[in-house]
Amino acid sequence: MIPSLSLEITVLLLGILMLLVESFSRSDDKRGLAKMAIGILSALVGFSFFVDPASGNAFYAVDATAHFFKVLALLTTIVVLIMALEYSSVLAKYLPGVTPGAGLGEFYSLPVFTCAGLMFMASAVDFLLIFVSLELVTISFYILVAYMRRHTASLEAGVKYLILGALSTGFLVYGITWIFGLTGETNLAAIQHALATKAVATTPLLFGLMLLLTGLGFKVAAVPFQLWVPDVYQGAPTPITAFLSVGSKAAGFVVLLRVLQPFLGVPGVGVKVLAVLALMAALTMLYGNLAALPQDNFKRLLAYSSIGHAGYLLVAVASVSDTKATFGSAGVAVGFYLAGYLLMTLLSFLVLIVVARHSRGDDILHFNGLAKRSPFLAFALLTAMLSLAGVPFTAGFIGKFLVFAAAVQAGKFWLVAIGILTVAAGFYYYLRIVAAMYWHEPGDTTPITIAPLTRTAIGALTFAVFVFGIFPQPILRQLKDPAPLPATPVHTAAR
Amino acid sequence: MSPILFYIFAAMTLVFAVAVVANRNPVASALSLVVSFLGLAALFVGLDAYFIAVIQVLVYAGAVMVLFLFIIMLLNIQAEERRKINVPAYAAGGLVTVAFIAQLWFVLQKFELGKTAFAPLAEKHVDDVRNVGNTLFSTHNLPFQVIGVLILVATIGVVVLSKRELK
Repeated sequence: MIPSLSLEITVLLLGILMLLVESFSRSDDKRGLAKMAIGILSALVGFSFFVDPASGNAFYAVDATAHFFKVLALLTTIVVLIMALEYSSVLAKYLPGVTPGAGLGEFYSLPVFTCAGLMFMASAVDFLLIFVSLELVTISFYILVAYMRRHTASLEAGVKYLILGALSTGFLVYGITWIFGLTGETNLAAIQHALATKAVATTPLLFGLMLLLTGLGFKVAAVPFQLWVPDVYQGAPTPITAFLSVGSKAAGFVVLLRVLQPFLGVPGVGVKVLAVLALMAALTMLYGNLAALPQDNFKRLLAYSSIGHAGYLLVAVASVSDTKATFGSAGVAVGFYLAGYLLMTLLSFLVLIVVARHSRGDDILHFNGLAKRSPFLAFALLTAMLSLAGVPFTAGFIGKFLVFAAAVQAGKFWLVAIGILTVAAGFYYYLRIVAAMYWHEPGDTTPITIAPLTRTAIGALTFAVFVFGIFPQPILRQLKDPAPLPATPVHTAAR
Repeated sequence: MSPILFYIFAAMTLVFAVAVVANRNPVASALSLVVSFLGLAALFVGLDAYFIAVIQVLVYAGAVMVLFLFIIMLLNIQAEERRKINVPAYAAGGLVTVAFIAQLWFVLQKFELGKTAFAPLAEKHVDDVRNVGNTLFSTHNLPFQVIGVLILVATIGVVVLSKRELK
């Protein structure tokens, strides 16, 4: 049994070690750094199963939810590093380097720090730690998005992300301030306790929650806070786009779930917050899926699709029961959906990076005839697209099924209706890629070579999409009975 | 703090905060920011939070602003050119602002707790430097350490994004 914080500390030490090796080694080849990080992070996935459940404190919870999202963060970072290895030749072109490997060491180590932030966020149960770890993640993303300094699109994306990210942080902090002012606490369990025992005015509380939802809405890219997504996703280096659309989204949703928990049971508050969330979910599904229809650039299409998927996740969040203080089936749906979303999105981005490097472009027409150039890549992308669309026997189908089941259980039939309509729209634009790959003639017929590590990752992700689509029990078992917040605050003695 | 002083300093903070955005000349913007921070520091003094007030002046109005002015002068940033006013963008921004202020006004009208005056602190002088330090290094140590990582990441970012030639 190891203390839970040792996982984050190891990740941080790994990041610092990578920076040190980067500074002092004479070699221009930085690939060893990323491979070392991949190895150590994979080992940490194993170690995370032997965490002492009693090693939490007032800021930091050690429970099944935290463990699940930590594993998601680690796996995402591992795949992002594999993508970064594959992408390094493209990246090097846009960096003002004097040596061939200049600037790549930092590009490999920053995602490791982001991973530590995501892991802290998975465990954070106090607004202070939530805010600080969210900022750690966001600030490292500001840097990574603008990383390709000689590429105007990347710089533009960086500036847009910085300005809107800072604005959303302002809303988040202002919301936290209102809630702290009303309850006198920043710890979520203590807030729940204060709301149950003290008479707290409802209107200001709702105002604080609205600001909080605005801030988190930016992070998870929910309508009407989604305008930054397409440009930032298209301009950022592709591995970072993948990281943004998976890591940032997962962290946003775990924070959303944790933050909502104390307020759901409060009469006159829980119902209204859930109604707002349901409205946001409906708009997000419609906007993401309809705006994706005319896209010709694959990266931009994935950006809109990620907005659409945020909508389905919000359906699950909005289906949370407002009477009990636990999440039940809706919490399980969010967790499973994110796990499936991680697999299929990372898979699409991996294939995109390999294909874009060989075809020198990431438009849909660059995928023409992929089946003839590399049947392996075409099949992997086919799997990802089918799963994103929600075809049975893939992880994406089970995720959507759980989400809609939770919505039906909560009696939100109109959300299910909108959901099914938008899924149908999704089939159109996802299958356009499949059509391009299998039915169009390739522009050039050179076969595509794939590095062994990338091939392994693509194979494993493809396999996992099918395995969890047919046999989802291992993930569901991990997600069962998320521990409710302790009835009494654990830390008040320290204040 | 008497209410009159509060209103004076609050108005000072807000007016100069608007001036930061409205000014086309970056030096004027930076100096307006200093004045806005001073008003904020005065508000903190009014709340008996002397430590935060002093830090506000020392760190923000002092160090950060000097750095800002240095950078503006080193890069020789000229006054921004007049751009064509984008009417829909201004209208939308104005609409959101008005809606937000209206909402805030409505909430404050219904907020009974905000209208009650709190009794002054029992102790005349709170040892706030010691309290802040104690909290940071004992109960709130974990978030404090994470801030350390955050600053490290920000430093890496500055080096990577601003260095002329990467080695």
